[in-house]
Amino acid sequence: MAEASGNRPELQALLPDVYAELRRLAAHYLRGERPGQTLQPTALVHEAYLKLQKDRPERWQNRAHFCAIAAHAMRQVLIERARARDALKRGGGAPRVTFDDELPAPAETRDFDMLALDAALERLAALDPGQARIVELRFFGGLSIEETAEAMEISPATVKRHWALARAWLARELQR
Amino acid sequence: MAGAGASALSTDWARVGALFDQALELDATGRERLLAQAAERDPALAGEVRALLRAHDTSGGFLERPAWAVAPELLAEAPDDGPLTGSRVGPYRIQEEIGRGGMGVVYAARDERLGRTVALKVLPRAVSKDAKARERLAREARAAAALSHPGIATVYALEEFDGELYLASELVRGTTLRATLADRRLPSPRVLEILRQLADALDAAHRQGIVHRDLKPENVLLTADGRIKVVDFGIARSLTPASDGPPVLTLTGTALGTPGYMAPEQIRGEAVDARADIFAFGVIAYELAAGEHPFGGSDPASLVERLVADRPPLSRTLDPPALDTIVRRCLRADRGDRFASGVELLDALRAVADDGSVMPPGPLVIRNAWWWKFHQVAVATLTIVNTVTLGVRKAYLGASGSWVFLVVLVLATITTTLRLHLWFVSQVHPASLLALRGRVLRWIVLCEALLVTALLATGIALAGPHDATAAQFVVSSLLLLLSLLVIEPATTRASLS
Repeated sequence: MAEASGNRPELQALLPDVYAELRRLAAHYLRGERPGQTLQPTALVHEAYLKLQKDRPERWQNRAHFCAIAAHAMRQVLIERARARDALKRGGGAPRVTFDDELPAPAETRDFDMLALDAALERLAALDPGQARIVELRFFGGLSIEETAEAMEISPATVKRHWALARAWLARELQR
Repeated sequence: MAGAGASALSTDWARVGALFDQALELDATGRERLLAQAAERDPALAGEVRALLRAHDTSGGFLERPAWAVAPELLAEAPDDGPLTGSRVGPYRIQEEIGRGGMGVVYAARDERLGRTVALKVLPRAVSKDAKARERLAREARAAAALSHPGIATVYALEEFDGELYLASELVRGTTLRATLADRRLPSPRVLEILRQLADALDAAHRQGIVHRDLKPENVLLTADGRIKVVDFGIARSLTPASDGPPVLTLTGTALGTPGYMAPEQIRGEAVDARADIFAFGVIAYELAAGEHPFGGSDPASLVERLVADRPPLSRTLDPPALDTIVRRCLRADRGDRFASGVELLDALRAVADDGSVMPPGPLVIRNAWWWKFHQVAVATLTIVNTVTLGVRKAYLGASGSWVFLVVLVLATITTTLRLHLWFVSQVHPASLLALRGRVLRWIVLCEALLVTALLATGIALAGPHDATAAQFVVSSLLLLLSLLVIEPATTRASLS
């Protein structure tokens, strides 16, 4: 989905930092280094915002604006990565000995098709851009219902309804 | 895959949404009734909503966890680093992948020229493609290669094959301190032992003017025999692109800074010195001793807090208290308040006994001890000679001679015994020397002051009829006085401080 915020220069400036933080978290997660501790992605986005705002307070309108950009950035990064990986798999070559095989990943990880989701999300955006944006904020940005509502300036109840429908629709799309 | 569903839906997505929302509010029978009614008016719509409701009911946790938790490997993996296992790179035969981090993949590889196994790190392309970065890395690798210390993994070579850069270094088999931290809490003496080793390694590098700049638990390995090895000394930062400026993290360069261990001045992008390592050391020490990150782990807000806080707001007091003091000093925001280098830190750590009490600095602070020891023996000898002389010549003093001799003998016996005892302890158990000296020094000073007075008075009294003996006493007393006031403080400062 080509939402406006995605094309602004801030995105490029912000992307690396958010990405770095998320990547670090993901690495911890993968190594299972923080047992019993749940990830706090929203806190993470929030902190990244605090940090960046300190540098250049004029750059961000508000936290919601930031979250929208962060979520979009995250989506771009993940999809880019998934594509690169897909190409590598198809390309064959030497047998891979990476921690893909070594580390126990959550079962859903192996089956989750990020690229298919991205494509489905594009189709959803054609039907209803708002719902696609909710999914982006929730899934790629890690925002809660309330935070998503704040970012989109709609009521939490509306977010909840749209989220349920979008989720069901995407689930069905991915099962096809 | 876009399918008929999508196009059919696009005709009236809003109606699908409305019906779906309505149905979701109802229980199973209510839904059936609602869908049956809707099917009479628009079967396609009802069918679509029924399918969506089914998807909703069976989707479980679909999309409920954020993307990076569902597919963390997409973020953690550097897709541009191809696997090399089994292949040959120059003279190296790659055996197995042993690590993978921000700075690329590390392999165990056999150097077939020298017949040794090394750790071979494939450096990120962002480094190998950038002439300036390469130059800096080459310079730093050269400096790091000069480091030879049991606590530092030695850098062997920076190699280039087919336009790719590889760093060959000592292969260390062990677990990272990070893994150890995650695994268990270490007992206090073990923590102190690890920290002393780490400080020792820092000291060795700092003395050669090399700063690690990216010290963190991932860069400290624990070997099976309990030793620590610091890896990437002096080069870690250069392996990340944009290492000149503030630690901005880039997409292309997979190497990323570790904000949790960076000193405030480092976060601000200022030039760093040994004291940045001291800060990182403080963070690691706190983590080891307290079992948690001093600034709340992955929480960048506390990082911001740290930038403004002069003294870090630590939630726990470390045990032993002496360690707590040391760690707090390491973590001071103003680097001028920290230990200046590894050697200061090491001295402080060595003073912390395993039971947590602070013991006086031990054998390692005795330098140039020869003069100090010579001094003890010389003063004792001078005292004995004069006492013996007085014993022989006491008749010169007439009736009071025996009393004067008795007093001098007692004083001389005390001070000589104490001085020879100090000398003896410095030979056999230097660790307790400073403590012992602290206890006995006042008695030595008191006795010698009285002794000097007695000898001087005797010398003056004997002047005239017995000039030779008088001269001996006067000169000896002056020598003892000089020694007590000037020579001893100087040799002590030089040797024991």
